[in-house]
Amino acid sequence: MPVAAEPVQAGRAQEMALVERCARGDLAAFEEIYRAHSGKLYSLACRMLGNPTDAEDLLQEIFLSAHRKLDGFRGDSALGTWLYRLATNHCLDYLRSRAARSNQLTDTIGDELPLPDAGSRGIAERTVSKMDLERAVAQLPEGARAAFVLHDVQGLEHKEVAEALGIAEGTSKSQVHKARLRLRALLSGKGA
Amino acid sequence: MYCNQYREAIQELAEGTIGPVRRAELQTHLDQCDGCRTLAADLRKIREAASALDHPAPPAHVWMQIAGRLRQEGRLSAPPSQRRHYALLALAAALVLSVGTSLWLVVSHRGIATRAPIESAAQGNGNVATGDAVQSITDDLKVAEQHYQSAISKLEQAAKNNDGAIDPQTAAVLEKNLTVIDQAIAESRTALKSEPQSQPARDSLFEALRRKVTLLQDTIALMNEMRKGNSAGAAQIVEGGNKS
Repeated sequence: MPVAAEPVQAGRAQEMALVERCARGDLAAFEEIYRAHSGKLYSLACRMLGNPTDAEDLLQEIFLSAHRKLDGFRGDSALGTWLYRLATNHCLDYLRSRAARSNQLTDTIGDELPLPDAGSRGIAERTVSKMDLERAVAQLPEGARAAFVLHDVQGLEHKEVAEALGIAEGTSKSQVHKARLRLRALLSGKGA
Repeated sequence: MYCNQYREAIQELAEGTIGPVRRAELQTHLDQCDGCRTLAADLRKIREAASALDHPAPPAHVWMQIAGRLRQEGRLSAPPSQRRHYALLALAAALVLSVGTSLWLVVSHRGIATRAPIESAAQGNGNVATGDAVQSITDDLKVAEQHYQSAISKLEQAAKNNDGAIDPQTAAVLEKNLTVIDQAIAESRTALKSEPQSQPARDSLFEALRRKVTLLQDTIALMNEMRKGNSAGAAQIVEGGNKS
């Protein structure tokens, strides 16, 4: 739609101008990018890694890597989406190397879905505390966790989640839905 | 299973993408099926709870470390030379020395003061003070302290927004300095708790608070000068700090 396209194009032009300043070594321009996106990326890293200390270290690596790779950013997607992709790749690499060290490797959720249980009492009637939800999210396989956090927590569209994770849009939808079902099972005390 | 044919529709309902015809069809099923109705309500609840989760902000030092690494790797347009880096570190150290000396004087002064309660308190029936008088002094102190704390909060916020201008090593020295002042503030507060009427103890608390305000102001000014690459301006600030 032309009405919506104009602000998007203006936003992209601003982003490209910032990126060019960064390429010239302008720290203030890079700080502007950091201030605009670090909160969302830190939040993602905290939930993906499960602890704030590792998330701080990884956030540092994400932005240093972003600074190195910014000259390859062509503005085909929003800068935020590009950074999300970089951040999720860093998170997944980190988790994979951690999992490899402990011989635990999980990724996406397969088709072994918990089906609706006609006799069960749902979680909708009771309060779900933030802490319980955070704990349950931490138990999701990392691929599904990334899709769930990006979509349901951070509010990205499935198209953006797909871009960030390098997966098909349909896969994003399916992973988010399966993550919700797994969370439901975890929150109602039925385990994974 | 009968419910299986509604699985995709329940997913679309949770996503908010279901069309009106499928929605009506699903609703008919939900009206009759407790299990699917509960599932749909649970999925909605999980979405709502997820979108209400907090988004923690990264600590300020993360940006300072990133900026420091970029400088070290020479990826900024005007990387400070090693000579300038050491010069700035020396300037920060001079600032620390100046504040440290002042605080030593403040704390020593307070030490004498708390051992010798003020004259008026020693008069009369030998009690330190009446309850009302102590309460009145405590209230006055609270108001004055709030004034300082408000200024300190604003300056701390400004310093946080300015971070990255100082390399991590210099920042660490300044942070250490702030810790020393905070310790002096805490000690003064403890002394005042046991001697609420001690004027010198009060003075030492406000002196420490004033020192913190000054140091934060100097830190911000130092950051601004470093941003501009103005070592001479930074030196002037430190010189001013030494005189205060």
